Formats: sequence, C-alpha cells, structure tokens
Amino acid sequence: MRRVALRGIRAHLVRFILSILAVALGVAFVSGTFSLRTMMTSTFSGIVESSMLGDAYVRGTEPVAGSSTTGTTGETRNTVPASLATQIAEGHGVAKAFAEISGPIVLVGKDGTAVQSTRSPSFGMALHPNDTTVTVVAGAAPSGPTEVALESATLESSGLAVGDQTKVVVAGVIRSVQVTGEISLGTPMAGATIVFLDVATATAAYAADGMVATIAVYANPGVSEADLVENLTPVLVGDKAALAEALTGDAMRAEARTDIDSQLGFVLTFMLVFAGISLFVGAFIISNTFSMLVRQRTREFALLRSVGASPTQVFASILIQAAAVGLLGSAIGIGGGLGLVSLLRVGFAQVGMDLSGSIPVDAPTVIISLLMGTVVAVVAAAFPARRAALTAPIEAMREATTTERSLLARTIIGGVFTATGAAGLVAALIAPEDGGSVMVGVGAGLVMLGTLLLAPFLVRHTLGVLAAVFVATVRPLGRLARGNVVRNPRRTANTASALMIGMALVGAASVLAASATASTRAIVDDGWSSDFSIQSATGNVPIGAVADTRALASVNAVDVLTYGPAVATGPGETASAENPLWVVGLPVGAFGRSVTIDTVTGALDTLAHGQIAVQKAIATDRGWHLGDEVTFPSRTGTISARIGAIVDTRLIGSPIIVSDVFFATIIEPAQTTVEDLLITGAPGVTAAELRADLTDVASSYVVLSVLDTEDFAAQIASQVNQILLILYALLGLSIIIAILGIVNTLALSVIERTREIGLMRAVGLGRLQLAGIITIESVLTAVFGTVIGVVLGVAVAAVMPTVFDGVGLTTLAIPWVQLAGMLVLAVVVGVLAALWPASRAARLPVLDAVASD
Amino acid sequence: MTSISNTKPHYMRSTTAIPSSAIASARGLVKTYGKGDTAVQALAGIDVDFTRGELTAIMGPSGSGKSTLMHCMAGLDTVTSGSVVIDGEDVGRMNQRQLTKLRRTRLGFIFQAFNLVPTLTAAENITLPLDIARRPVDRAHFEAIVAAVRLETRLHHRPSELSGGQQQRVACARALVAKPAVIFADEPTGNLDSRSSAELLGFLRRSVDDLGQSVVMVTHDPRVATYAHRVLFLADGRLVGEIINPTQASVLEVLGRLDATPATDAGDDSGVLAPIGF
Repeated sequence: MRRVALRGIRAHLVRFILSILAVALGVAFVSGTFSLRTMMTSTFSGIVESSMLGDAYVRGTEPVAGSSTTGTTGETRNTVPASLATQIAEGHGVAKAFAEISGPIVLVGKDGTAVQSTRSPSFGMALHPNDTTVTVVAGAAPSGPTEVALESATLESSGLAVGDQTKVVVAGVIRSVQVTGEISLGTPMAGATIVFLDVATATAAYAADGMVATIAVYANPGVSEADLVENLTPVLVGDKAALAEALTGDAMRAEARTDIDSQLGFVLTFMLVFAGISLFVGAFIISNTFSMLVRQRTREFALLRSVGASPTQVFASILIQAAAVGLLGSAIGIGGGLGLVSLLRVGFAQVGMDLSGSIPVDAPTVIISLLMGTVVAVVAAAFPARRAALTAPIEAMREATTTERSLLARTIIGGVFTATGAAGLVAALIAPEDGGSVMVGVGAGLVMLGTLLLAPFLVRHTLGVLAAVFVATVRPLGRLARGNVVRNPRRTANTASALMIGMALVGAASVLAASATASTRAIVDDGWSSDFSIQSATGNVPIGAVADTRALASVNAVDVLTYGPAVATGPGETASAENPLWVVGLPVGAFGRSVTIDTVTGALDTLAHGQIAVQKAIATDRGWHLGDEVTFPSRTGTISARIGAIVDTRLIGSPIIVSDVFFATIIEPAQTTVEDLLITGAPGVTAAELRADLTDVASSYVVLSVLDTEDFAAQIASQVNQILLILYALLGLSIIIAILGIVNTLALSVIERTREIGLMRAVGLGRLQLAGIITIESVLTAVFGTVIGVVLGVAVAAVMPTVFDGVGLTTLAIPWVQLAGMLVLAVVVGVLAALWPASRAARLPVLDAVASD
Repeated sequence: MTSISNTKPHYMRSTTAIPSSAIASARGLVKTYGKGDTAVQALAGIDVDFTRGELTAIMGPSGSGKSTLMHCMAGLDTVTSGSVVIDGEDVGRMNQRQLTKLRRTRLGFIFQAFNLVPTLTAAENITLPLDIARRPVDRAHFEAIVAAVRLETRLHHRPSELSGGQQQRVACARALVAKPAVIFADEPTGNLDSRSSAELLGFLRRSVDDLGQSVVMVTHDPRVATYAHRVLFLADGRLVGEIINPTQASVLEVLGRLDATPATDAGDDSGVLAPIGF
C-alpha cells in the first residue's frame, strides 16, 4: 500500500504542489520565528556577556516602581550610594569596583538630527579609566564635560568621525562636545546608541545625588565569584545591609537574560500567532486538495478494496501521502524560514539594528518545524482519508456519482457556536463591567469558529446575492460561475476561509484604529486648551528646554507635565512594589489654562494644598473615596496625602494627578519623565508667531517637536497607522495563502471538470469566456470570504468601544473607505488567483476534454 | 474573418434519395498520431461527402477510425493532411477563435455521456449554445423542440434529477436549438436501454425528415444504424463500404464481411464489441 501511496504522489505531483507550498509557507513562518528568536536572544545575550563582565554586583535590595532608564533590564531597585564603590574596592580579594553610571542621552549626528534607531535605547554611560570591559579602538577616552567617545556602531550610524564636533543633550541641557574616541564593547549592540562620558560628567548628569543603580566589582585572580560575594558581605553591614546586596556576576547575567527573554517573548508570541493562522489556513488547502483527490479517485480506491485492501490500508495510504506532502513542505519551509530571517536581518541592519552571528538552524527548530508541518498535513487529510476508506468495493463498477454530504450537522454546530459567541458579545455590550474583555475575547473566538463552520451554509444561501451582479451582467458566464461555486459549498467555504480569517482581523484592526484615532481626537478637542505642546521623540523633554521656552516673550505660561511611577497605598492596603501606579505632576495653575479636567467630586484646587486627584476608574477599583489618605514612599520615609478630587478624564492617562510640588517629593528625579510642555501664548501674539518662536527653541534640542491640537491628533493617527501597517504586512501573508488556496481549488476543479469544460467548449464556449467563468468563480470566492470576514471583524470591533471605554476607546468610527478598499482588494485577489487556472483551462484541447476518462 | 450569418435557409424538405449537396465533406483526409516508429495512422486518406438533410451513420470495428473521422470533421481534432469543408467553410484553415465560432453557430454535438452541465437546469442546458453565443432564443422553435423530445415537464430539473434517456433527449434538444448546419452524434445511445434508444433515434430521424436537419452519427450498434439514411463503413482508417437505406440484416452482412477479412488486422485490438442492447 505504501508503494501505491507514494506512486500516487509522483503521478499527481502537480496537484500536490500548492499543498506543499501552503505547508512550506506556514512552516517558513514558524521556523523563521524560532530562528529569529535564537538570533535575537544570542545578540542580546552577547550584549549581556560583554557588557556585564563583573565578578560580582552590588545593587539595591528593594525593587521599586518604575522602568529602567536604559531599557535593558526590566526590574528596577532602589539606588545605592556611588561612594560605596571606594569602600568595596578596598575589600579583600577585590581588584576594582566601579559605580555604573548611565542615563538617557540625545546624540546629534552628522546630519544634524538625533541619532536614534527604531525603538532602541539611547544612553550615555561613564567610562571608568581602568574598565577592562571596553576597548578604545581609536582616539582616546573622553575627559571633561566637552568630550565624548562613541561606541563603534553608534559612531558609524551617526556619520561622525573621531575628532568631529557635535552636540549632545544630556541631563536636559544641550552641550557642544568633541568626539575623542571610538570604543568597542566587543559585540553588536542591537542598534543601541551608546555615548561614553568621563566619570565626573556622567556623575553630574546621572548621579547628582550620589546614588547609582549598580556597582560592578572585579575580583583578584584566583578569587571565585562566590568567594567574592562572601568577601563583600562584611562591607554591607548595618544600614547598608538594608539598602544594598551583593550577588555574583553569573546570577546578575542570568537575571538580565531572563528579562530579555521575557521581553522578546511578546514579539515572538505575536509572530507565532500569525504562523499559526497561516498553518491553520494551509490545513484548509490540504484538506481541500485531498477531498478532491479522494472524489476523483473513488474508483481507484474501490478497485483496491475489491482486490482485498482493508479500509485501514486505504486510510493509511492517504495519510502516508499527506505525511509526505507535509514533510516535503516542511523541509522547503525550513529553507524558506532561513531566507526570511536573512531578509529580516538585512532589513534590521538597514535601520541600524545589527544582529549578531550566523542564522541559527538548531535541531529543535528543525524538528518542531518538520513535526508541525507533517502533523497539520496529516490531520487535514484525515477526514478525506476516512471517506476514502469507507468507499464500497462496488463503487468501482458504478458510474461516478458523487453525492454531497448533508451540511445539517455542521450548520447546527456552527449556528450554536455563532449564537453563543454573539450572545457573549451582546452580554459584554450590556454589562461591560463584568469581565467584558473576557466575554469579547471568547465571544469573538466562538463567532469566528462558528462562522467557519457555517460558511458552507452561507455559500449555499447567500452567494446567490453576491453573484447576482455577475449573473445579470455577464450572461451566461455569471450563471455558470455561480453554479460552479455553489455546487460544492464545503469546498468554496474552505477555500474562502483564508481570506475570511485574514479580512476579519484586518477589518477589526481598521475599525479599532479608526476608533482609537477618533477617540483621541475627541479627548484632545475636549480637554486640551493650551496653544501648543512641546514633546520629545525620546519621550523625555530636556529640562533645559523649559527655561528656554519660559524665556520667550511670546509665551505666557509653560506648564510642565511630568510623570513617574509610585507605589500608592490606600486605607487598609499594604504597600506592594509589584504594582506601581503612574503619577502625573502638573502646576496647579495648569488646570483650566492648559488642560480641562472633569471632576466627579471634590475640587482640583485642593491640589495646591498637597492633596491629590485620582481617576474614577482607580477609585472604584481600589475602593478609594474622597478624603481618604493615600500613602507614598519618599526619600524621607513615607508621605500621606488626602484625596481632594475624583476626576474622570482621558486626557491624562495615569490614575493619580498631583501638583508639581508634591510630585517632586514622591518621585525621584531619575524616575521622572517630562512628557509635555503645555504652552499658552502671551496676549496679542498670533499662533504663527508663537509657533515660530517655539520651533526656534525646539530645533536646537533636535528631538523636540512643537504641536498644536491638530498636529497632535495627526501624530496620534500616524502612530496608530504605523501599528496598523505592521499588522497589514503580516496579514499580507494570509492573503498570499488565500491566493494559493483559491488557485489550488480552481486548478483542481478544472481538472475535475475537464469533461464538462470540454462539453461547453464543444457547444461553442470561447477560450476567453471559459477564462471569464473561472475568473468570476475566483472573484466570487474571494469576495465571499472578504465580505463575511469584514462583517465579522467589524461586528466584533464595534463592541469594543463600549467594553473598553475605560482605556480611552470612546468613539466608534468605521473606516468605510478602507473597508471598500478591502473589497476591491478581494476582487484583485480573485482575478490574480484565477490567472493560472483560467489560462490552464483555456489551453485544454477540446478533444482531450471531450475524450478524457 | 468569416462572415457567418443566420440567414441560411432552414430546409423543411425531406430528401431521401438524391443528396442536393454535401453539407460536410472531406478530401484526402489523413490523421496520424505520434511520430516515427510509434506513429499510428488513424485515417489513411478519406474522401467523403455527408449529404444535406440526411442522417448518416458511421460504423466500423473499434480502432477503425470512426470517432477520429467525426472529431476531424467537427473541428475538434486537427488533421495531418487533407481538407474538411463544413457548409462551405474550410475547417482546416480555421484558427481557434474561428473554430469556436463554427461550433457555436454551425455545429451541434451529442456525446455518449457527460452531455450536460450539472449546475444548469434542463432548459438552461438546452439554450446554452445560444446563451454562450449571446443570441436570442427563438421561443417557438424552443417549444417545438421541447415538445418533440417530450421534456415539457422536466425543464426545471437538474441533470442529476433526470433519467439517462431524458438527459440524452436534453442533449438532442440542445444540439437542435441553435439550428446548426450539421449535428455530430458520438454513440448517442451508448448508455441507454433499448426503449430509450429507440425513442432518441426516432426523434433524431424525425428532426432530419421533418426539419431538414443534417446529422452524422457514429455507432457500433447495427440496430442504431438502421435509423440512418446511409451507413458508411470504416476499417483501418479507410472507407470500405456504404449502404443506402440500411436494414439490420444488410448492416450485419457488411460487418460480417469486414470481420472476415483480417487483411490489416495486426494492430487491431477489436473483438470488444459490446453486447448489443445491454
């Protein structure tokens, strides 16, 4: 039987090509994702290995709220005095110890713009004269506040050369500096911009209060890491023990790697979801292929059965074919995945993100990819195989009569799923508070699954409506095409499913994006009353810009909006650093002048007296009431503040709003981010004049932009669109697979319909007309999938503004133009997919078609 | 471009004895399959005229080339050499587009099986050639044909809901509806029981006698051949005999003579003549 099965593949290779391709695409995505992860992990591990060479580290004991300024590690702890380093250096077995001083920096490149690669951090760090982890490749180490050295890749991407003059923005001020040297860390830094400063400059900029995050300790030769940590313990006694702890270099590096893994995990999960979708959709192609083959080969199976093959043998012979298709596809897919990653690496390098090492092909990736492709193929073929196995021997003698199995069971199950899912969505709509998001998730999933099951039923009963245009306009081709599409509803539905899934996701994403943009717009229009706002591309406006802006004659007021993390403890709660809240600080005068915030109870002027305002959502969540005392940790112990107002605003996203004075007492400067300068013009100054003045100030800081409400809304929209673009790119894959699926089905059905095509050609059907029929079939299938998918996606997305009202999604906006665009895309997809099968059918010699058996 | 119009008169006359003129003819028709050593000559130089307004049957053992002759006459297959003329048009010189147009306007086909498009109703199948050619349906003609094949009550059924005999009658009606110059029928009763066969053949013959239609029919069944005005016999790619107004006996007699002369029987895998009547 195995020989029969494998010969079958060779004989029908053309029919399997698209199945193999579908598996290959899905597997390419899976193996590509794994390879990419391995590559990224090894790059970032390389960074950890080469930048964390200490034999031991001393750091804070208490995790505190907030995120690290360098963005390389997730967890942040309390800071330790930098002076501790001198004490430690004198300890037994210690060769040297440095306080690691680093913080954000903006480097101006050769072209006068900020050096920054996509999403990678930009930071300055102290270069200790006797630090052995770095090598000065060219020039000299920086000394004094007017000198910097650049990491090799940073130097290259900045376009600067050793000896050039440039500017940096450090600790909020612009500084002219000379590049004195090039420094290598011995490994690619994945696009991070790294500027080295001398210790005094770095300390002044990042550790003005004498506190640092970590102290790196290097052992004398012969002293093990564990011994070194033992030796450090005597130094860290008394109050220092409460503040600082020592751990081995290995432990520190392991922690850093874990952090990196968990951060990369998110990206990879996202990619794997798409890989999963493509494999799922690929399964439909395989299932369709085998269904059609089984139909065509009924007689062959019956013959095998009548010469004594058991149903199990027939079943197995088909599964063997499926496994071969899966294995072959997976093997090609693994190659494709490597190609994909190579392309990605080139792409990353283009945007300045160097990834290290060769592209890894490790055994687990290969095994998982092969397994995945094969299992998907075998599972997809199992149902058609079962049908083949049940072929009665008598069928060999009969005229081929194929009866469509009843759709009843499938329709009922699909109906139940869809109805349950829809009920979940409606429930979420009615009572968004009671686990609305879970309801939406489960509901959407059920509706999607249910619709996939219902699809054949929908084909039979709704396709006529879609086809009406063609039936009426392209006689008689439209009617013939409709007949072919509706003839086998299961097949059409399976073929359309790829587009259905893809388009549902795109449709939902478009609606969400449009709604998010519209919501932001509404919020900004409502609550933003300042004339202009200055924001930074790095997310942190340099403090120097505040003074510069205030000094302008055309400016009436500059309200600085800062934010930072704090652990807020309400009455009856115990402090937990795990769950910090964002706190926003604003000058008291800003309310009504720059921002308008709706108060639920209390009054915002209480903020002037050290009270705080909290958002309604968090108040409800934590059970806080007006007048309750909330406690915050501060440098001098804890400090309490009364809730003076409960507000409900989306303009400010953070749950707690305090005055700038109070903000300074609870948030350390290192944790403070200046998000926005809200600027009101002096009386009599026109918007254009004010903008010109502000732009003057901003341009010297390179990373700043001046925005009015209009610009701001546009900026948000473009950010949303950027995210959307990534989503579209990934969904492009599902469209490619959808095209493959349609091509596959059409090509196989052309083979299946050879006689019928011959007959129609014999009674006078022209080649173009035949191509027309197949094109209309293809377009109908694509449009069907798209319409169902879009309707589904939009319906699910439409529920979200009500449910996710709390996170700022307030307005539902449906992007009709984009949705219409998707419909046009469907037509294009349909036409493209039809090209090959249609020309193939048109080239069938009439006689072959008539005489084929 | 060929200037094919629908102005061709519709012969309502019955002519049995003397053919007025040939509706289709071939001269020196040769068809060779394959090349070199493996070349097989299916037609070895055939001169034939099919008379307008007649039902002509082509008979011969398996492999005699009767189907090939029909395929070549109908422009379904290319010829190796020689010429084919249908209703004054040289088929051999036609390109694909012209052949399509020829099939659409001048020819009707009835095959042994797979005659109907399964997704269309009987009525839609009948008017398919007209629909494809975007020509209006002559309702009176349509109804006359439907009445003649007694399909009035089955018009809105799909092929799967029709019996084999009904399906072939639909195919007949379809072949007639476009008023073609000639209808080619390839074993039209091959899959039918004797009663349905008789019905179908009676109808075909009436279409010739009453409507002046020209029909060329390939068959291996002597009883089927008796419905023809004239029977042509083929063996090994050559025309070897002809009977006017055949009877079952005369046909069998010629067939018997053909079987008795094993002259060039070498490559012939005949002997698989299906039992007559099923």
